[in-house]
Amino acid sequence: MSDPLLDVAGLAVSYGGTVQALRGVSLQVQAGTVVAVLGSNGAGKSTLLRAVSRSLGAIGGRVTAGTVRYDGADLAHTDTSAAVRAGLVQVPEGRRIFADLTVEENLRAGGHTVRDAAARRRAHDDVLDLFPILRERRHQRGGLLSGGQQQMLAIGRALMTSPRLLLLDEPSLGLAPQLVDQIGEIIKQINVTGTAVLLIEQNAAMGLRVADTAYVLETGRITASGAAADLAATDEVRNRYLGVSEPGEQPASCAPAPAPRATVTLTTQTGAAQTGAAPIGAGPAEAQPRSEHRLTVAELTVRFGGVTALRDVSFTVEPGTVHALIGPNGAGKSTCINVLGGAYRATSGTVHYGQRELTGLRSHQVADLGVARTFQNISLSLEVSAEDNLLVGRHRLMRAGTLAGALRLPRARREESEHREVVRGIADLLGIGHLLPRPVHTLPYGDRKRVELGRALAAEPSLLLLDEPVAGMTHGESSDMAAAIASVQRRLGLSILLVEHDMPFVMGLAERITVLDFGRRIAEGTPQEVQRDPEVVRAYLGAAEAAA
Amino acid sequence: MSYLLTQLANGVSIGLVLGLVAGGFVIVFTSTGVLNFAHGSVVLTGAYLVAALQPDIGFWLAALVATAAAALLGVLVNAVLVRNLAEHNPATAAILMLGVDTVLLTEMTRRIGNRILPLGAPWGADVVSVGGVTVPTARVVAAGVAVVLFAALWFLFTRTGFGVAMRAAAADGDTASMMGIRLSRTGAAGWALAGGLAAVAGIFLTSFPTQGVAPSIGLTAFAAIPAWVLGGFDSLPGAVAGGLIVGVATALTVGYEDDLQVLGRGLGEVVPYAVMILVLLVRPNGLFGRQAANRV
Repeated sequence: MSDPLLDVAGLAVSYGGTVQALRGVSLQVQAGTVVAVLGSNGAGKSTLLRAVSRSLGAIGGRVTAGTVRYDGADLAHTDTSAAVRAGLVQVPEGRRIFADLTVEENLRAGGHTVRDAAARRRAHDDVLDLFPILRERRHQRGGLLSGGQQQMLAIGRALMTSPRLLLLDEPSLGLAPQLVDQIGEIIKQINVTGTAVLLIEQNAAMGLRVADTAYVLETGRITASGAAADLAATDEVRNRYLGVSEPGEQPASCAPAPAPRATVTLTTQTGAAQTGAAPIGAGPAEAQPRSEHRLTVAELTVRFGGVTALRDVSFTVEPGTVHALIGPNGAGKSTCINVLGGAYRATSGTVHYGQRELTGLRSHQVADLGVARTFQNISLSLEVSAEDNLLVGRHRLMRAGTLAGALRLPRARREESEHREVVRGIADLLGIGHLLPRPVHTLPYGDRKRVELGRALAAEPSLLLLDEPVAGMTHGESSDMAAAIASVQRRLGLSILLVEHDMPFVMGLAERITVLDFGRRIAEGTPQEVQRDPEVVRAYLGAAEAAA
Repeated sequence: MSYLLTQLANGVSIGLVLGLVAGGFVIVFTSTGVLNFAHGSVVLTGAYLVAALQPDIGFWLAALVATAAAALLGVLVNAVLVRNLAEHNPATAAILMLGVDTVLLTEMTRRIGNRILPLGAPWGADVVSVGGVTVPTARVVAAGVAVVLFAALWFLFTRTGFGVAMRAAAADGDTASMMGIRLSRTGAAGWALAGGLAAVAGIFLTSFPTQGVAPSIGLTAFAAIPAWVLGGFDSLPGAVAGGLIVGVATALTVGYEDDLQVLGRGLGEVVPYAVMILVLLVRPNGLFGRQAANRV
């Protein structure tokens, strides 16, 4: 066997000299092959890619042992720019296109290191051939592209250097199933021209489909490796990353009544909110709906400038049920959640929660009605601890005033310790109890998602709005999350409205599903009905999902 | 009527020159994230060098040397001070720049003393009259040079690979460096451009019909700060618009000061800030500033 194009040997990386992100990681990429790295959140996948692309410094990481050899040369003293010039290019996590630059200018920035004008033109034409949509929109600002198009632009931008090794960090993050398939095909096409690809992918099914070889990274160590097809057949990978979703069989974790991961009993004097809800844990496991309120969305229309994001959308969330909104990127799902949460204004139509009209209320007024939410692009205070972020969620339940708190009067102190206890119980329920003292910026994406869910739960809501709660999680983590949400929902009798692309998650959790496409409602029904709807399959699920 | 037009023409010319200074603030801010409060002193240093070198090597060569020296000064401040800051915190850098400003200003004051160094009238002391509006030729040249420089900047930032790379680095440095763009180079280029623009502005702010170079020119250049802020911190077109608004508003206030005596004398120095506050009340991000993308 010839020497590998990329040879990582015994690599160790630490952050700030204390957090050890990688230990003894060894991995090879042969020229012209696709290699996938699977792993849970916090396993160190992004760290590994940045160590290879020499861009660890920007996020405060440092290689403490081991070597990264590319094309036979040790990269120890190579900077990012020199690595790019040698044909080693990374597409960063979260796309990170230059939103204010046009598509054309984004590509130009990508080809910055190419000195030969003819080569640059060739690469440019190849990229536009690979992504015809980018040719169509070449003079528009990158920020106006949809999520899928932005991902194509991010990949196209990196391809401008005609790299020999392309590093991809979660290219399918936040994309609808059909687009995920498309990105998989694109990776294969890129590889056909001889470009090797090192791929991090939380969508393990897609990653293993396109990869020749794969590695499993767990808490900073490689725990398994081999041919992608062999790994896909092992029980461990099937259970943790793929989910055994044979036709007609629900994934185990998505069964209707999952066992709670942690048994907690929360009691609080402050829990009786204005909505007249029972305190957490006071009721039996089959709690009555916490509130009798029905969320009714009627003929909701939202326009931004000339763009109509939602058009006459109607649906109802019954008390104590889980309702999902699904649809392609740009269908208007987040817009809908944002109107319900009071962040956006409706152009016309109404939203009622019980008797109260929500349209026109501000975010904090909506929150006072017992409606809590999480955000697609996580919205936490990064510098403070996870515990304090959760405590913020208790704000509306805190009785002691600012003055009492500032003077640390006994009453305020007692109240605070009660709140901390409740918050700890919620954290344990979500499996983040051990993370409470850590500042949020040290937590990986998936754990931040959990902290955000915890903050929403801490407000003891009767209606929870979840915007992509499991984006960026592996199958195993998303199953755990589904179990945690289902358990909380059943214990507390919450109503939940959620937006999510992870279909096993949605199908296992939701009782009713509303499907949006281009701002219109194209279907509504039970998971089974929606899955069979030909319109939904065409617009959203794609061939691969339909067959499953 | 012609008095009004004359004031307007003067205001536009001064405004464009202030736009050059404000543009320097914008470029340094977008390329390295630094609020460069030493910029006024760089304007002064550029003008001083022209006045000091002119008797020996002539105006044109002196202007060239001063522009290059001001650009180099910017590059050095960036390379020696800004890049070595332990913490990349805008507030730390801003205070550091106030320190640099004090050092430069003190040195210039020591060299200039109480004198006013004449820069003369490189474009002659003639006036141009069009339809009853009379403006010094120098003011017309200033406006013309500023417009040419703005066009050159537009060309650089939209039509050249390096300019696009500078904008990419300004938008997201971490990602830009993953594309192989060297942030040290885009940063240095930003400081060099800003320094050069400051020197050119310094020449127009101190030559005929102005008396000459005095340390107070550094303060005059500070009128570019409201122009910068009201245009939007990170927008070059905003800097031009802000410069024009401040220039015209100041010229009109000074021109009609006799009619505005109720408000007291010295109103011209206050007006830029008053205009800035008015604009920010209506548009908190400035005229052309990036709307904080509020997609939640």
